Amino acid sequence: MRESILTRLVYTSIIYGGIAFSADAQRPRGVGPEFAKFYKTTDTFACISNPSIILPIASLNDDYCDCPDGSDEPGTSACAHISPLSPPSPVDNTLNNKLALPGFYCKNKGHNPGYVPFTAVNDGVCDYDLCCNGSDEWQGVGGIKCEDKCKEIGKEWRKHDEERKRALGAASKRRAELVKEAGRLRKEMEDRLQSLQTEIQGSEIKVHNLEKEVAEVERAEKGKLVKGPAGGGKLSVLGGLAKQRIEELLKNVDRVKNERDDARRRLAGLEELLTSFKEEYNPNFNDEGVKRAVRAWEDYIAQGKAPDLNNALEQDLEQIMKPDAENGLNWEEFQDADESDVEVLYNFEQYLPKPLREWLNQKLRDLRVFLIENGILANPHSDASESAAVTKAKQSLEAAKSALRREQDELKSHQDDLAKEYGLDDIFRALKGQCISTDSGEYTYELCWLDRTTQKPKKGGANVGMGNFVRVDTVMVDEELPPNGKGLGSGERIALRYENGQFCWNGPNRSTLVVLACAEKDEVWKITEEEKCVYRMEVGTPAACQPQGTAKGVREKDEL
Amino acid sequence: MNSLSPFTRGWASFVPFIVLLFYCFTPVLTVKHENFKTCDQSGFCKRNRAYADTAEASSNWDSPYNLDPATISLSNGQLTGTVVKTISRTGDSVRLPLTVTFLESGTARVTIDEEKRQKGDIVLRHGSKARKERYNEAERWTITGGLTPNKGAALSSDIQHGATKVHFGPEGKFEAIITHAPFSLDFRRDGTSHILFNSRGLMNVEHWRTKQEAPPEGESSAAEADPAVPPEDESTWWDESFGGNTDSKPRGPESVGLDITFSGYEHVYGIPEHASSMSLKQTRGGDGNYKEPYRMYNSDVFEYELDSPMTLYGAIPFMQAHRKDSTVGVFWLNAAETWVDIVKSRPAVNPLALGVKSTTTTQTHWFSESGLLDVFVFLGPSPQKVVQAYSELTGYSQLPQSFAIGYHQCRWNYVSDEDVMDVARKFDKHNIPFDVLWLDIEYTHEKKYFTFDPMTFPNPQKMTSHLDKHDRKLVAIIDPHIKNVDSYPVVDDLKKKQLAVNNKDGNIYEGWCWPGSSHWVDCFNPAAISWWKGLFKYDKFVGSSPNTFIWNDMNEPSVFNGPETTMPKDNLHHGNWEHRDVHNINGLTFHNATYEALLERKKGEVRRPFVLTRAFSAGSQRVGPMWTGDNQAHWGHLAASIPMTLNNGISGYPFAGADVGGFFGNPSKELLTRWYQAGAFYPFFRAHAHIDTRRREPYVAGSPYTEIMAQALRLRYSLLPAWYTAFREASVAGTPIVRPNFFVHPSDENGFAIDDQLYLGSTGLLAKPVVTEGAESVDIYLGDDETYYDYFDYAIYSGKGYKTVPAPLEKIPLLMQGGHIIPRRDRPRRSSGLMKFDPITLVVVLGKSGDAEGSLYLDDGETFDYQQGAHIHRTFRYEASTGLLTSEDISDRGSKTASYLKSMSHVRVERIVVVGAPSDWKNKESVIISEEGEKESGSRQRSELQFHSGQGGKAAWAVVKDPGLYITKGWKVDFS
Repeated sequence: MRESILTRLVYTSIIYGGIAFSADAQRPRGVGPEFAKFYKTTDTFACISNPSIILPIASLNDDYCDCPDGSDEPGTSACAHISPLSPPSPVDNTLNNKLALPGFYCKNKGHNPGYVPFTAVNDGVCDYDLCCNGSDEWQGVGGIKCEDKCKEIGKEWRKHDEERKRALGAASKRRAELVKEAGRLRKEMEDRLQSLQTEIQGSEIKVHNLEKEVAEVERAEKGKLVKGPAGGGKLSVLGGLAKQRIEELLKNVDRVKNERDDARRRLAGLEELLTSFKEEYNPNFNDEGVKRAVRAWEDYIAQGKAPDLNNALEQDLEQIMKPDAENGLNWEEFQDADESDVEVLYNFEQYLPKPLREWLNQKLRDLRVFLIENGILANPHSDASESAAVTKAKQSLEAAKSALRREQDELKSHQDDLAKEYGLDDIFRALKGQCISTDSGEYTYELCWLDRTTQKPKKGGANVGMGNFVRVDTVMVDEELPPNGKGLGSGERIALRYENGQFCWNGPNRSTLVVLACAEKDEVWKITEEEKCVYRMEVGTPAACQPQGTAKGVREKDEL
Repeated sequence: MNSLSPFTRGWASFVPFIVLLFYCFTPVLTVKHENFKTCDQSGFCKRNRAYADTAEASSNWDSPYNLDPATISLSNGQLTGTVVKTISRTGDSVRLPLTVTFLESGTARVTIDEEKRQKGDIVLRHGSKARKERYNEAERWTITGGLTPNKGAALSSDIQHGATKVHFGPEGKFEAIITHAPFSLDFRRDGTSHILFNSRGLMNVEHWRTKQEAPPEGESSAAEADPAVPPEDESTWWDESFGGNTDSKPRGPESVGLDITFSGYEHVYGIPEHASSMSLKQTRGGDGNYKEPYRMYNSDVFEYELDSPMTLYGAIPFMQAHRKDSTVGVFWLNAAETWVDIVKSRPAVNPLALGVKSTTTTQTHWFSESGLLDVFVFLGPSPQKVVQAYSELTGYSQLPQSFAIGYHQCRWNYVSDEDVMDVARKFDKHNIPFDVLWLDIEYTHEKKYFTFDPMTFPNPQKMTSHLDKHDRKLVAIIDPHIKNVDSYPVVDDLKKKQLAVNNKDGNIYEGWCWPGSSHWVDCFNPAAISWWKGLFKYDKFVGSSPNTFIWNDMNEPSVFNGPETTMPKDNLHHGNWEHRDVHNINGLTFHNATYEALLERKKGEVRRPFVLTRAFSAGSQRVGPMWTGDNQAHWGHLAASIPMTLNNGISGYPFAGADVGGFFGNPSKELLTRWYQAGAFYPFFRAHAHIDTRRREPYVAGSPYTEIMAQALRLRYSLLPAWYTAFREASVAGTPIVRPNFFVHPSDENGFAIDDQLYLGSTGLLAKPVVTEGAESVDIYLGDDETYYDYFDYAIYSGKGYKTVPAPLEKIPLLMQGGHIIPRRDRPRRSSGLMKFDPITLVVVLGKSGDAEGSLYLDDGETFDYQQGAHIHRTFRYEASTGLLTSEDISDRGSKTASYLKSMSHVRVERIVVVGAPSDWKNKESVIISEEGEKESGSRQRSELQFHSGQGGKAAWAVVKDPGLYITKGWKVDFS
C-alpha cells in the first residue's frame, strides 16, 4: 500500500506547500499588510515576538505551532491555543501567552479587509462577518466551501454605510441644534439668575424695612394704654380667641385629612400588592411564612375591605375646610370692632389740636412703654391676641420673607442646576423633561430624560417605576453593530443611571442603566431585564454623538 | 520584621474565630422538614422498623415464613415453590408464590408474590377501581435484557436436610442455599457466604386483610385468636393522613420487607439519590450515624439539606457492597416508596483464632410500601462485573450526541430570543466555548408547553439558526403538567383522549404546578406515549428546530398542592394501577416518552435524542442525563456534588452532574470559579441559576475569574475525545464515567470510603476539585504505587497515600496516573461540533513499567450510524521493551465503516507528548514513523523529537512534532 503514503504526501504538499502562500504572492496566507515585513525572508523565519527563535521556512503555515507567539502560523489554527484562556501546559511554550498577530487576515477584495480569530480558521464555519471572501476556510474541512461573497456583502455594507454616514451627519447637525438649545436654556437660566439676585437684594431690603416696621408697630401698640384685654371689648377678645382656635382646628383637620388620604392610598396599594401576592406566590416554595401570610390575608379579605369614602360626608368636610369668609364668617368684623366703652373715653384726644394730640399721645405712650418696660405696669398684650395693626405688619413681613425665601430657593436651584453635570456641552439640558418610549413584549417602556424610567403594561395595570435619574456616567461596551447602525458598537459610551425605582418582590429596587449611542433621532432600541429588576436600555440619540470636528464623530466599522 | 510578629500571631489566633463567625452567619437555606415524612410518619416504615425492633429484641425470634419443600421444583434455570406465612394470632396461613431465577449472567433473581392477590381474590375498600394484584409491571419499564435463565443451574447433590442448594453462574461457581424453615437464602461465591436474605428474620409480606370494625367494648375479638399474642397495632393500616391530605389506602397494609446481609463487607454504596456520602452510613442512630433510614420516594425537595438520608428527585434501589478484592450487589426491583435501614456489626474476635481478622458485616433492611418482593443478586467479584450485570438488566447508559458532553449554559431564564442570541455572541466575544443554551419555563406562552411566548420569543427560528451557525443547540423545557385552561389544544386533546392520570375516583386528576391548575400526562399509557410523540413534530411544536432538544423537569411528579409535593398515592394510572405502586418510575416513563418523541420528529431524521431528567429510577440511564436538582450556591453543595455524581456513576447512571454555580443564591466569584473547575469533571456539565439571582455567565465575573473559568472550559473541551471514549465504554459496559477510588483500586482498603476525588474513565486522569474557600492546596489520595504527574507541569507524585498538590485559584488539582495514553484536541473552538475535524494530540504517560496504553473512540456524534460500523476505535500502546508506540484498530466494522473513515481521513495526530520520557532520549532527535500495510523499507520516515529534561521534581518529557499520522490508520512510531 504505497498509495496511502503517497496520497498523504500529495495532500500534505498541497496544503502545506503549494498554497502556503495565498494568491497574494507577496505574503504568506493569513498575514496582513502591516505584518508583511516579518515575512520577507525566504529561507528562515524568526518568530515576531521571540526573534531569537529561528525556524526553517517550511515551518511557516505547516499547521503545527512552533513559535511561542504563534507567528509561524498566520494562516492556520495551529497556534489558536496561545491565550491566557487556555489551560497551561509545558508543551506550549508559554513564554508570552499572547499571539503576535491579531488573527487570520482576510483581504476581502470588494469590501473591507478583516481579521478572523485563529480559533475560527478552518473550523467548518464561513465567518462572513469578518471574512467575506471565505478564505478562512481554505482547508475545506468536512467539505465546507465558502464562496467569495465580498461583492454583495461589500455592496450591502456600502449602502448601509452611506445611510449611516448620512444619518450621522444629520445626527451631528441635530446635536449642534441641541447644543444651541441647551446654550439658550442655560443663558435663560443665567439671566434669570441675574435678575433673581437683583430681586433678592430688593426683597432683603424690603424684609429689613418691614422688620423695623413691625418692631415699630409693636412698640407703639405697647403704648396703647387702653388697648388690649383690659380695655378691649370681650367680644373682640372672644373673637380673637375663637379665630385662633378655629384656625388651629382647621389646620389640624386638614393635616388629619391629608394623613388619612395618604393612609388610604397606602392601604389601597398594600391591598393591591397583597392581592397580586396571593395570586402570584409560588406555593411550591412551601414556605410556611408565606402560606401563613396568604391565609391571614384571606381572612382579612373575608372581613370586607375598608369602606369607601362617603361622598356626602366628604363634601361636608370640604365645605368646612373652605376659608371662613365663604362660610359667612368675617373675623375682621369681630376683631376690628375693638372700640370698647373704655376706649371711647380716651377719644378725647380727638378734640385736641392735631400736633398737641400727637404729642400727648406720644408722651402717653412713651410713659406707658416706660412703665411697662420697667415692670410697673402689666403688659396688656402678654396674654392677649395681637392687635390688628401688629398682625398686619407681621403678615406683610411674613409675605416679604417668604417671597425672599422663594427667590433664594429658586436661586439655589438654578445655581445647583447650572453646576450639575449635563454631559458634554451641557447637551442633556436640551432634552430634560422630554420622554420617549418603545414597546417590548407585554410592556411599553418609557424613558424620560434625566427624570425617570417607567414600565407600562399594555394590558392595563399600574405603571412601574424602573428608576429615578441619578447621574450621567460612562460605560465600556463591546457589541456587534447591526447593519442599520442602531446599536452600541464598541468603546466608551455615555450612560444615564436611574436608580431606586419600585421595590421588587424578592429582589432589589428596580434600576435602569440607559446606554446611549449616536443616532439621528431619540429612540429606544432595546430594553433588557438582565437580571431580576435590573434593566438596561440601549438608546439612540443625537445627544450622544461626538461634537463636530472631533475624530470620533463617525463610528468606524468594527473590524477596521 | 520582628516587631510585627506579635501582631501576626495575635491575628492568626483570631482567624479561627472569624472563620467560626463566618460559618455561624453564612445563610444556608434549609429544607422544610415538615413537608416530608419521617419514617415514623410513613405507616409502613414505622411498622417495618417496629417489626425489626421486635425481632431483634427477642432472643428466639421465629420468622413466620416457611418454604413448603413439597412445592419446590427447578427447571430451565428457574426454581419455584410456595412460601407459607403463618399468622400467629389466628394460625391462618398465607400462600406466597416464590420464584428464584438463575440468569445467564450469573445474576439470581428472587421474586415473591401473594397468591390471593394474584387471583384477584380480594375486596377493595371505598369501592376502589384499583387493581387487585400486587404491582408486577416494574419489570416492563425497568428491565430491558439479561433475563435469559441459565439452564445450567442445577440442584446440588450435596443436599442438606431442610435446605435446597443450587449451583449457578459462571462455571457453576456460585451457590444459592435455600433454607426452608424459616425461609432464608444464602448466596455464596467460591464457597463463602456473601449475601444473606432473611437471616435476621425481618422478612415481611403484609398480606391482604379485611378491615375489622372494632368489636364492642367488653367483647373479646375473634374467637380463634391466640390470647397469648398481643393484638397488632392497626393504627397505620388504613386511611393515612399527612399534611392535610388523606390517603384512602383501598388495599390496606401491603408492604414488603426483607433483611439483606452482606457478610464480611464493611462498605455499601449506591441507592441514589441522596445528598450523602458515597459509602452509606448507618441509620439506626449512634455517633455520626443517621436516625432515619435512607428513603427513596422521588420528590421535589425544595432547598434540600446536605448529609441526609432524606429522599431526593430520583431513586435507584441498587446497592453494592465492597471489601478487598470483592464486590457484590443487590437490586430491589420495586417502584413504590422504599426505605433502607443500614447497620454494621463487628463480631468480637476470638482471640484464639489466630490470623483471622475481625470483619465488619453490613446488615441492611429494605421495605417498600406495595408491589412484589423482587430482588436481583449480583455476586461480582469486581465492581466492574457488578455494574455490568446490573446494566445488562436495566440497560446501558445512552451514548449521547457529542454536544451533550460539552458545556451547557442554562438560566431561569434567558428572557427573549434576543437575549439568547446576545448570550451566544458574548461567549464568542470572550472566546469561551459552549455547546448548548437552555430555556427554562418562561419561554412558554403562559406556561403552556409546546408554545413560545409571542411577546418575548417572536422569532424562535432565528434564534435556533443563530445557534446552529456555530453548531450549537437549544434545549427547551417541557414538563409533564399540562395547563388546565381553555383554548389550549394540548390540554383539550389530553382530556378528550383521556390520557391523563386520574384521581382515586377515576376522574381526571387536577393539581397545581407552574401553570396553576394542571393535569398530568400518564405515560404508563401506550396511547399517551403515541400522543406525546406527536406533539414534538416540528409542525406541532412550532418554533422548535432540529437543533432543539428537551429538558424534562418536575417529573417526580412535582405537584405543588399534593402530599409531599407530589401526587396522592391513591391516584390511578393506566391499567388502574395506583400511583403508590408506580411512583418511583413515573419520571422514567415520562422521560422515556420524550426520548421516543425526539426519535420521530421528522421522518428520515434519526438523531440520538437528548433529554435531561430530574426524576429518575433504574433504567433512566438508557434515556439521557440527570442532574442533582435544585442545589444552592454554597461551598457545601459544591462538595456534595462530587460524591453524588460518583454514587450515580457506580449505580449504572453515570451521565450526571450538578448545577454549576448552585441554583439558589448568588455564588461568590471564587465559589463560581471553583465550581467551573469541578464542573469540568462532571459527566453532565451545565451551569444553571435561579430567576432571583444575578447573571453569572463565565464572562460576567471579569479578570482573573473569567480567564480561569475559560481555562476550565477549554480543558474540558480539549479532553472531549477522552470523555467521549469514556461515554462509549459506559454505553457498552455500564462503567462509571467518573470513577471513585475503590472502583479503580479495589484492593486498596484505605481508599474505599474516598468520594471527593475522581478518575476520568480509563484515562488515569485523577482530579480532586477544590470545594473549600481560600484553598491553596489539596491532599490527593493515591491508591497505588504508580507514578502520577501533575497534568499542568508534570510534577511527580508517587507512593500510596495522601499527597499535597498546590491548588491556588487558577489551578485544578489534576494528576495523570502513569501507564496511560490520553487523547486530546488542543485547538480551542467555539463549540464541540467545530472540533470534529481537528487533529489529535496523544499524551503518553509512562508509568513505572515504562509502558502505557489508552484508547480513542470517535463517531459522527449525532446519528446511530456508529451501530453500523461508522466509528473509529483504536488502542494506542507503548511498550518500553520495544520502544514502539502503535495504533491498533479495535472497531466493529459494518456497512457504514468505509464512508465514515473516508470523511475522517484527514484527521491527523498533530503531536505526541511523552510524559516521563526516559533520560536516554536526551540526544535523540527523531523517531521513525511507519504506516500500516507499508513495506518497511519504503514507508519509514523520520519525524522530529524534542526532549526536555525534568527539573525541580518535574518529569522529563518529549514531543514528536507533527508525525504525519492519521487517526483512521494503523501505524507505529519507533522511539528505540
